[in-house]
Amino acid sequence: MKKLIAVFLTLAMLLSIVPVLAESAIDTSEHVKIVYLVTGDKPTNRTDEVLAKINELLTEKINAELEFRWIEWTDWQTQYNLALATQSGDIDLIGTATDWLDAWPNSQKGAFLPLTEDMLKTYAPKTWESVSEAHWNLCKYNGDIYLMPEDNYAQWTNHGFMYRGDWAKEAGLENGVHSWEDLGVYFKYIKENKDGVIPWDANGNGSSYSPQMAGGWQTSHTGNIAIEGFPVAIFYGESKDNPYTLSRYYVEGDELVNFAKTMKEWADAGYWRADVLNYTGDVVAEMEEGKTGAHQHHTQTWTSERTAMERKQPGSDLGFFWFGEEASNLISLNITHGAMAVAAQSKNPERALMVYDLMRNDPEIYHLMQYGFEGDMYTVDENGLFSRPDGFEDSVDGVSFNFWWGRNDNLEYRNAQLDWDAIQKMYDAYDAVKIDYPYGQYIYDNSMVGVFMDNLSNVYNTYMPRIVFGMNDDPEALVAEFRQALQDAGIEMVMSEIQGQLDAVYAK
Amino acid sequence: MTEKIRAEHLMHTTHIRKDKSQIVINVLTYILVTIFCVMCILPFWMIIASSFATEDSIRRSGFTLWPSEFTTFSYELLFRSPDQMIGAYIVTIGLTVVGTLIGLFIIAMTGYALQRRDFPYRNGIMFYIYFTSLFSAGLVPFYLLMVQYLNLRDSYFAILLPLLMSSWLIVLMKNFVKAIPHEITESGKIDGAGDFRIFYSLILPNLKPALATIGLFLALSYWNEWYYSSLFLTTKVEYRPLQYHLYNVINKVASLKNSVAGSNVVITDLPGETLKMATAVVATGPIILLYPFVQKYFVAGLTVGAVKG
Amino acid sequence: MQKAAQQKVINYRKPSVGRTLKQNRTLIFMCIPAILFFFVFSYLPMPGAYIAFTNFQYNKGIFASPFVGLKNFQFLFISGQLGLLLKNTVLYNLAFIILGNILQLAFAIMLNEVACKGYKKTAQSIMFLPYFISDVLVSLLVYNLINYDFGFISHLVRNLGGTMPKVYQNPGAWPFIIVLVHLWKSTGYGTVVYFAAITGMDSSMMEAAQIDGANAWQRIRYITLPTLKPTVIILFLFAIGGILKGNFGLFYNLVGNNSMLFKTTDIIETYVYRSMMNSFNFSQSSAVGLFQSVVGFFIVLGANAFVKHLDPDYALF
Repeated sequence: MKKLIAVFLTLAMLLSIVPVLAESAIDTSEHVKIVYLVTGDKPTNRTDEVLAKINELLTEKINAELEFRWIEWTDWQTQYNLALATQSGDIDLIGTATDWLDAWPNSQKGAFLPLTEDMLKTYAPKTWESVSEAHWNLCKYNGDIYLMPEDNYAQWTNHGFMYRGDWAKEAGLENGVHSWEDLGVYFKYIKENKDGVIPWDANGNGSSYSPQMAGGWQTSHTGNIAIEGFPVAIFYGESKDNPYTLSRYYVEGDELVNFAKTMKEWADAGYWRADVLNYTGDVVAEMEEGKTGAHQHHTQTWTSERTAMERKQPGSDLGFFWFGEEASNLISLNITHGAMAVAAQSKNPERALMVYDLMRNDPEIYHLMQYGFEGDMYTVDENGLFSRPDGFEDSVDGVSFNFWWGRNDNLEYRNAQLDWDAIQKMYDAYDAVKIDYPYGQYIYDNSMVGVFMDNLSNVYNTYMPRIVFGMNDDPEALVAEFRQALQDAGIEMVMSEIQGQLDAVYAK
Repeated sequence: MTEKIRAEHLMHTTHIRKDKSQIVINVLTYILVTIFCVMCILPFWMIIASSFATEDSIRRSGFTLWPSEFTTFSYELLFRSPDQMIGAYIVTIGLTVVGTLIGLFIIAMTGYALQRRDFPYRNGIMFYIYFTSLFSAGLVPFYLLMVQYLNLRDSYFAILLPLLMSSWLIVLMKNFVKAIPHEITESGKIDGAGDFRIFYSLILPNLKPALATIGLFLALSYWNEWYYSSLFLTTKVEYRPLQYHLYNVINKVASLKNSVAGSNVVITDLPGETLKMATAVVATGPIILLYPFVQKYFVAGLTVGAVKG
Repeated sequence: MQKAAQQKVINYRKPSVGRTLKQNRTLIFMCIPAILFFFVFSYLPMPGAYIAFTNFQYNKGIFASPFVGLKNFQFLFISGQLGLLLKNTVLYNLAFIILGNILQLAFAIMLNEVACKGYKKTAQSIMFLPYFISDVLVSLLVYNLINYDFGFISHLVRNLGGTMPKVYQNPGAWPFIIVLVHLWKSTGYGTVVYFAAITGMDSSMMEAAQIDGANAWQRIRYITLPTLKPTVIILFLFAIGGILKGNFGLFYNLVGNNSMLFKTTDIIETYVYRSMMNSFNFSQSSAVGLFQSVVGFFIVLGANAFVKHLDPDYALF
């Protein structure tokens, strides 16, 4: 009996390892469904209606239709990775990103199909044409292309602080906040003059503040450049002149201590609430109600929040202080901040590529996907600005494809409701100082020191929130303790391993 | 039946002939249990009160015992599309009723068999069952089993089946069966009844408190289920269980803010605190109100069925 | 009585396996639904636990992924935190088991002594309420009660002229808070178990005691408690197998990323979660689960053998 069970078990499990063969002849005679894995909540607006129209077009053009598989925001990390790990031909296109959806680790784990030049030329010719060779090279791992990058879409997701221009003026900052020092002045003014307003009512229960704040101070006070793709944000290149030497900012030097001291002062002054680490409130809503004076997020958020604030708090003149501003230390967005991949087990990779090529490059499909039905859901004026009809509510009347993996500026309309004067001014300032992301060709290999990396991650998550929110009696001592813990967790070894990997890619 | 009358009679007599110790215990009980009950009710009351408060007042003064500005806005929002809520109720109630009835019967049957002293395989089977509470294969193998071998994605069976029983409930049932005198089984045997007949006609009627308790636990595990729903019911399924809906509303913000996406993606329309509270009230209210009645009729029904059978 | 039963077992065992099977076929059939259930949902996927020993490659599947030995177990052991984590996890679980059972027993016995039926029923239902409040809401409630700036208790303390301690910066307070919250959530559930065990017990004994003139304390001490003994032991044995497994939802929601409190609140689950927050790894989380199971398994084997030695009737298997 036992033997029988054992045999049965082995048989059952063996079935799972027989790879599904995905090869088939090129022909579109068979109607296929392409399943698109995307993060986001299933929309309850008019998305289905628009999708039906798009599917009509897709059927007509390439005899395929598109179907969503939403990874809803609740537990999305588990759900997303589970979907990738257990795929069996049930998904075809996967939205991914190197900075927040682990595109490279997932490529290394075999979640994506390697795309040959022939495949791309044949099935996604427009995409193949529009992406430069240099950019394709940034999408390679071990010589194979895994990602189709969103490389023709201007956006800035560099972090910083949104602040109210009107209050900054009152605080004596005529030109607004442009440094951490200004920010301190601004917070102090609010604390002392705005009764019942918490200068920055951070909801510190989210861990994402730690790397943003610590890294923000670092880019503002050094020339260090963040290297993407690590599970813990302590690996930076020295400067734009010497990018391929690792910075020792987190293991030695005074700047981290200065940061800890300043944050301790701010905490003591009450710029955020005492129990910030367990607070889960909604900062944006509070800011719109005039209950707090700042919000820490990125440029893209600011562009739309500025309009929202102007409506809710007229005259607020929401400004943006970007991290690195003092040192003119700004890196362009990595082109793989958003990218599309084909699922490793996809049964119709050719058709999937064809669908993607149309989504990204076909004006009619693109506009349907991004804006909905023209006339009914939006109009475009002679300047190429689009506007929504009166009373338009995106969550009811809009369309949501969450297509963050191939947006195309050639086909984009600018939103007439945004304050393009202010935004353009900001973009121009960025363009004057930005440099390209220097590490596009480097993909961190976790196999050698992964175990130590997990420990470093834990040390970072243990100490950094306390440093960032000044939760300590002696910042200097806490930083020393943090550094000792990093040493104990093996940071020197990990750094020399990474330095070795960097040298292997960039040594000339 | 006589057993019950006797017990009640006993209760009654104790009530009359109270000695001093009985009074002390009664007073102690009323004080302690009442204090604990107040501790249990207050937070629930705060949730209800908050669900009727404005988002603003919650942000300003936190939870209070009485909403300073009364509004039913959250409930209007929640029932904007009543289809969804009604569908969720039907799914949850259906799963709970069907799952509890089937599961309870199997659990009772197994519990009885495993408690029979003359059943030579009982320890082996018990170990076989208990072992599963210690070792599990982990998420990925289980997911593969459910989706690729049993083909249960987007099927309500993916929730109904895995929750039918647990080793914990079987152990508990076995323990309850132990309290039934062995002579009942013996007498059944002497009358020439088969093992199943003995279980069905003689044991089940004596298992009322156990059936009520384990039935309650089973029903609760179905009612509170969100985990399997989150794994196996994708967005293709139109009506998802109530608690999964609640789980989504309450956890969405947290799971976004705690992750890298929080610093990359801008999501609008996140649920506010009051909506969370209203959802919690709608999702848990009914079972709490209904629980005493359901339990009463549920047990009565079981007993009647068993006696008739 | 017991002897007779044992006699029977011996009698049944002597004949061939085939005959024993035949004689017990009805009982076996009665167990078959459960056996099948656990076979399909627990044993069938179990070989997949092999994932803990591999570098799991999505395109190859579990069994074709490269074998890496114990590498996935490594990170827990070299962290230097394992001692603290084990200590916290085990101590919290012990507190939950011991205090929880005492409280549940006490409430069940007390409720049983109360004559008023309506009160009994209502109290039981009310005690169940906290069980329905999800961990996220519980953490919100706790925060609203004790946070320093705007908390309900802070207001009270200040109005009374006192100074409110910063609870969220004081690790010493949290073992009490967490144990309290756990007891608050689970007492209703456990009380029902014991209450059912009391209700199901042989009422003739009570009656006899009553006639003999035993007072309430004596009845509890000599009849109720001994009747509950097997239930207590079974529950204890069952709980002890999970001694290394923590309630992630409760701890994570109450403490979150507040690292000031980790010294007294970090358990294996929260540590693993934090270490792998930004590097998803199915193999490593399986490895941790396996480690917890194996340790729990040996502890249970030991405890069960001990109980069996004292009285085979009380053992779990």
